[in-house]
Amino acid sequence: MEKFAKAFPSRPLKAPKDRRWALAGVVGSGNLEVMFERNAGGPDRMECHVETSIPGYKNSWLAALADFAGHYPVGGTKVTIHDQGAAPILVTLRLRQAYNHLTKATT
Amino acid sequence: MSQVELYHEQTARQRVAAIADAGSFAEILPPPERLTSPYLAQLGIPVSFDDGIVIGRATIDGKKVYIAAQVGPFIGGSVGEIHGAKLTGLFMAAARNRVPCVVLIESGGVRLHEGSAGEIAIAETMRAIFDCRARKVATIAVIGSDIGAYGGMGILSACCDFRVMTEHGRLGVSGPIVIEKWMGKQAYDSSNRALVWKTSGGKTKYLLNDAEALVHDNAGAVRAAIAKLLRKSGPVNLETAKARQQELEKRLKRFSGTADPDDVWKSLGVRDIERASLASAPEFVELVKAGKATVGKIRR
Repeated sequence: MEKFAKAFPSRPLKAPKDRRWALAGVVGSGNLEVMFERNAGGPDRMECHVETSIPGYKNSWLAALADFAGHYPVGGTKVTIHDQGAAPILVTLRLRQAYNHLTKATT
Repeated sequence: MSQVELYHEQTARQRVAAIADAGSFAEILPPPERLTSPYLAQLGIPVSFDDGIVIGRATIDGKKVYIAAQVGPFIGGSVGEIHGAKLTGLFMAAARNRVPCVVLIESGGVRLHEGSAGEIAIAETMRAIFDCRARKVATIAVIGSDIGAYGGMGILSACCDFRVMTEHGRLGVSGPIVIEKWMGKQAYDSSNRALVWKTSGGKTKYLLNDAEALVHDNAGAVRAAIAKLLRKSGPVNLETAKARQQELEKRLKRFSGTADPDDVWKSLGVRDIERASLASAPEFVELVKAGKATVGKIRR
């Protein structure tokens, strides 16, 4: 198990105020769950907490999260991740799914 | 939205959303509460925000219900301490407030990593289910996922008033691989999917009267079946328990020498095995009803 946290600069989130949180994915082999929560820290920071069963990939995680925070306006959110060995491409997909759930009407 | 949504392919939250009236679901202890397993971290296993079960209040056809859905992909939908406590609490609330309770099962039973706590939680949930039944509060188990309902969850589902199954669902106590390990491949070949489904699948369970409804692998069909059953509840007392025991003894006597599940189907009035095997769930129900005349009073 490896745990770490870091905040990344990001443009402020634009989303309906009534949606406080959003979840994507599941903790399963080669998978992960990602939860976005609103209004955690400052409006121009994405706060990230990662818990992964596969140690030794902190740099890859931080790069993926920094990239996401740069591409999407997610300032003022807290992201918590429970990972069980997901590939980097899946991490990005789950982040986008959770972001979509938070910002767009879901079915 | 043109794609067909299969119940067994949906996630727990998607199932709840599709079965409850639109927008009626209010989750109890949602993920931001972070009520997670206190044991898994010691074993190097990541926790899940909801400990593998979604619970809450909703309405179905305008009627209030409590509803739970297990998350199969998280450690096999297994019942750990928190998972079990959420399930117990939901049924206790159902009994107290006299609101029917529906549980969408996708679980192999107790989470072995927290075994004792899980076993106790299942026992406590059973007690809460019987509290519901004593107060004539309907309890419904839905079994239609890949994992099915096995171990403690198989037993728990049998404690409920009703079981709604799809052809996909399986119900049992020991899983196929466990049976094969103990009894040998000749006794039970767990890789023979047709055999496994014909002994524990939805169609057979419906035929044996272990499931009260057999429906399409689709949340809409499951929802319709639940709506029909919400009004009813069966009491549990010495008389009904004895009657059920007699029924099971008769079944054991009748089928204990049977090696082929097809013979069980035939004996229960299915005349065309191939047609019945290929039939959809509603078609199968029709076939069973048509066969009823030839077997006499096998169905209640």
